[in-house]
Amino acid sequence: MKDEDKLGVGLDIGSTTAKGVLIDSTGRVIASHLQMTGASAPRSVESILSALKETSDLDLFDIPTISTGYGRNIVEIATDTVTEITCHAVGISRLNPEIRFIVDVGGQDSKVMRLGSNGRPADFELNDKCSAGTGRFLEVMARVLEVSIEELGPLALESQAPCTISSTCTVFAESEVVGRIGAGETPTDIAAGVHLAMASKIGSLARRVGIKEPICITGGVAKNPAFRHYLSKELGGELWVPENPQLTGALGAAYLALERH
Amino acid sequence: MSDEKPYRRLETQALLQQIAFRHGLEAMNASEEGNLAWVTSGFPVEIPFAMNVFPTYPEQAGAIIGAQKIGPEVCGYAEDMGYTQELCSYAMVSIGSTDRPDDVPMGSLPTPQALLACNNICGTVLKWYDGISQMTGAPVYLLDTPPLEGDQTPHHREYVRSGVERLVEFLSTTFQTSLEEERFREVSELSSKAIHLWTSALKECQKSPSPLNCADRFLTMAPVVSSRGTEHCVEFYEALLEEVQDRAKQGIGAVREEKVRLLWDNIPPWFALRFFNKLAAKGVVFPADTYTHAWSGAVEGTDTRSILDAIVDIYSNVYLNKGLDAKVDKMCQLIKDFDLDAFVMFSVRSCKRYSLGQYVSKEIVTERTGIPGVVIEGDMVDSRLFNEAQIETRIEALLEMVT
Amino acid sequence: MTSGEVSEQSERLLKQLSESGQRLIGYFYPHIPLELLMAHDFMPVLVWADSTVSGAYEGSLQTFACSFARNIFSQRVRDQLSVLSGFIFPGNTCDSLQNVGDIWRVRFPNDIFFRLTYPAGGAGRAAVKFLAEELRILSKGIELKLGTGFSREELRRSADFVGRFRWAVQFIYAARLINPDVVSYSELAKAVRGFLSVPSLDSLATAEALLSKVQKDMDAQGHTDSVEKLSASLLERKIETPITPEETDSPRIVVLGGMVEPTDIAQLMESTPGGSDSAIVFDMLSFGFKTVFTDPLSLDGDPFEEMARATLKAHLEPTQEGLQKRLDFLKGMLSNLSIDGVIVCEQSFCDPDQFEAPSLENSVTDSGIPALRLPMDPEMSDKSRLSLRVQSFLETLASG
Repeated sequence: MKDEDKLGVGLDIGSTTAKGVLIDSTGRVIASHLQMTGASAPRSVESILSALKETSDLDLFDIPTISTGYGRNIVEIATDTVTEITCHAVGISRLNPEIRFIVDVGGQDSKVMRLGSNGRPADFELNDKCSAGTGRFLEVMARVLEVSIEELGPLALESQAPCTISSTCTVFAESEVVGRIGAGETPTDIAAGVHLAMASKIGSLARRVGIKEPICITGGVAKNPAFRHYLSKELGGELWVPENPQLTGALGAAYLALERH
Repeated sequence: MSDEKPYRRLETQALLQQIAFRHGLEAMNASEEGNLAWVTSGFPVEIPFAMNVFPTYPEQAGAIIGAQKIGPEVCGYAEDMGYTQELCSYAMVSIGSTDRPDDVPMGSLPTPQALLACNNICGTVLKWYDGISQMTGAPVYLLDTPPLEGDQTPHHREYVRSGVERLVEFLSTTFQTSLEEERFREVSELSSKAIHLWTSALKECQKSPSPLNCADRFLTMAPVVSSRGTEHCVEFYEALLEEVQDRAKQGIGAVREEKVRLLWDNIPPWFALRFFNKLAAKGVVFPADTYTHAWSGAVEGTDTRSILDAIVDIYSNVYLNKGLDAKVDKMCQLIKDFDLDAFVMFSVRSCKRYSLGQYVSKEIVTERTGIPGVVIEGDMVDSRLFNEAQIETRIEALLEMVT
Repeated sequence: MTSGEVSEQSERLLKQLSESGQRLIGYFYPHIPLELLMAHDFMPVLVWADSTVSGAYEGSLQTFACSFARNIFSQRVRDQLSVLSGFIFPGNTCDSLQNVGDIWRVRFPNDIFFRLTYPAGGAGRAAVKFLAEELRILSKGIELKLGTGFSREELRRSADFVGRFRWAVQFIYAARLINPDVVSYSELAKAVRGFLSVPSLDSLATAEALLSKVQKDMDAQGHTDSVEKLSASLLERKIETPITPEETDSPRIVVLGGMVEPTDIAQLMESTPGGSDSAIVFDMLSFGFKTVFTDPLSLDGDPFEEMARATLKAHLEPTQEGLQKRLDFLKGMLSNLSIDGVIVCEQSFCDPDQFEAPSLENSVTDSGIPALRLPMDPEMSDKSRLSLRVQSFLETLASG
């Protein structure tokens, strides 16, 4: 195979969604795929690979592959595993080399990282065991407010006076929200309060690492406009959102696969 | 009736604000003049007072921050610095407000020149003050009073005594001052006078209806914690005792219709003192609690030597420096003396020394006294950990058991 | 071998010993003069957290009790500690263990229970006197409740025995700083764990076998002198001269923390992609460096005073001494031992660890060295996130 024919695959097996990206030697994305991780991570790897194969119409045999995400160690075909911390940094740096800070909020965990001038993580922090500050927190609150997760953000943006949700523990916050509903607060203000609480939790992680602009946000929750609004206020800076905020980890993995092999 | 509320407000409370204001000013002055010390609540303040070193209390500042309901934010400042939310919230808001004083309207303390910790209330104080020392450069002095197993032994007394002597040395060199006997005697007399007045006021609550409720005591205890050893502290408690005795004589209760008398265990949730007022509407009064009864040892002596001996004895034997048995004994005694119907134990996530053991002591206290109790969970400053709906259900269930 | 297997093995061993008539006494806080317990004809057994025990503390302890204390309490509830004739609880080391000791006595009234209270804050001579008296009282208590008196002859023998073990592992600790490939951290951690769990002739032999291999290699590489010098300065807690370590492929990492399990940390590092056996060049953990580097017991003076002096001279836990002394030692290490990265372990709900972690982290990053905070509990219940943290940290070190 000639050098310019080289390909790279990145697989990001997260706790909620699994992502795959196939790139060529120029870094151009040939195919990408996103799906729920589901109960069996190995099965989702298989179906991502076949989706990439179908879109690209290429035989993906023997292509350098790097896996990342919580399921990174179960991907048998992976030539290497790299953490999503490094992969997000690499992916984002290729898309926007200016970025010095990344907030990644996924389904069941959240991370913040500060990047050095080489585009690699200089320091990072993760959420603790509890699900506060993750997509899961928003899901639970959406259910309590009886709206879909897609509706929650736009609903919150309508609020003029967000209420305070002081509990950061998901279970406690759930009963607090129930109490707010009982007290007659509007779903709009409660929804805004929920986003505010979440942004402040992430803000605390971010300050521990040291915020540096420009800031980028990735992960599924990046698609939520209310969260972006409150997080931007909390961090005191504009947020840059990549076109496909859920794919940047897989993209970084694919770049690394190319780079290393 | 002019006052429709289910509880009665103390007139003496107005004086409190004056005292707090005065204390704040004096602390600020002391800091500017270079003789301010931060102290823990169980510290023998008679010594710094007598040596013209002004003591101020981060724990009290923590209570003030809690009462303003800004605990979560200020704890958050410490979390930003890398301290975990699992730590004591008094320490967290102290560290947080030291880092960002401008963001804390009330309750950030003036810069200390020394940090005086006594671990008779918990082991956390040393690490907390170490952290503050890193931020302010003020040196830490730890007066080590190892927790007692039963009675104080001679080697324990000797050890604490040597610690007290080194404290005097430390203050002498740090602040270029000395301990003069006459002044020391004066301070200790004022201190013990205040304590006697305070304990007499507490004792009045044995009467029914109780002239004071929990929140009254939590608020009026401030001077005995922060200013014992001063004239104005004595004056305050003279006024308080007079009002309390007056109420007791006339049969006026803190709660308009006293129906149930409960014991409170542990530090209160400072951000939710209204909790006690809500219960007052149901005729619930708390004539006693283990927290405000902790300031009950009077330092008495005739000369420097005997006052120092008294300090060694009193400050080693404080409530939280003794084992579980002593805590159980105290609760049973209070239940008997104050004729209480049930008890509420507040399990304070911040304070392991106070709270760990409550499940066990609850069983023993019920076994010995025959009255029921309940454990509720939460925190004194960090309202993120206080689930009001859950707590109300538990207390209501307890009340159903006794009425 | 996982820590679960290691603990199973020592459990079996303890059972055999107990059946053969050996009397065992349990302790939780590692800074205890083993020689004293041996002088009463007891084998001192360090009770470790058991990563496999399922929670059984809930009826007696709140969830915010330190995770280590919860773990040992659960072991007792599940009757896993029945081979031990008695328990020594520490006093004045932290609020959790202080109160759990009280609760233990109520819940298990038939257990033989002792409390050894430590001085806090580093009060010098007065502290030594206080601890000496506490040790004397403990000694009398053992005689009274368990029936064997204090024997000077046994003390002499055990001083020699314990001293030999400590000397051996001190040498290995120092040697690994010069050449971490000489033996893996996990092998060293296992040898230390083996001895602290069951301080038998066999455990000593294992440590000494490891020593002779290390000595041979160090000799061949011409490092013996520098190892001995380094070991002595670690014992004195004064690292003032830079060392010249052998080149290795892995980064040189130091692990800081309290009562966390060194073999767990070793395993975490080994099982992480990119992490190797030799990456951890040193630890400052309670069940590692902090207890191993204790002065040999002098037999000249009053034995209790000598034991107290040696105990308090070691690198103690946060409550027992002020922060500055600890930071000074850390700075000496960082500037002289060619350290690439530092991992700061925090036991969940452990006040002393968690209070100190930010100061340690700042001190490390101020020296220009990357630091990683590792919040954990004895059950390693958040393992995937722990390994994510470690792997990311290794990637950061490699790219930086």
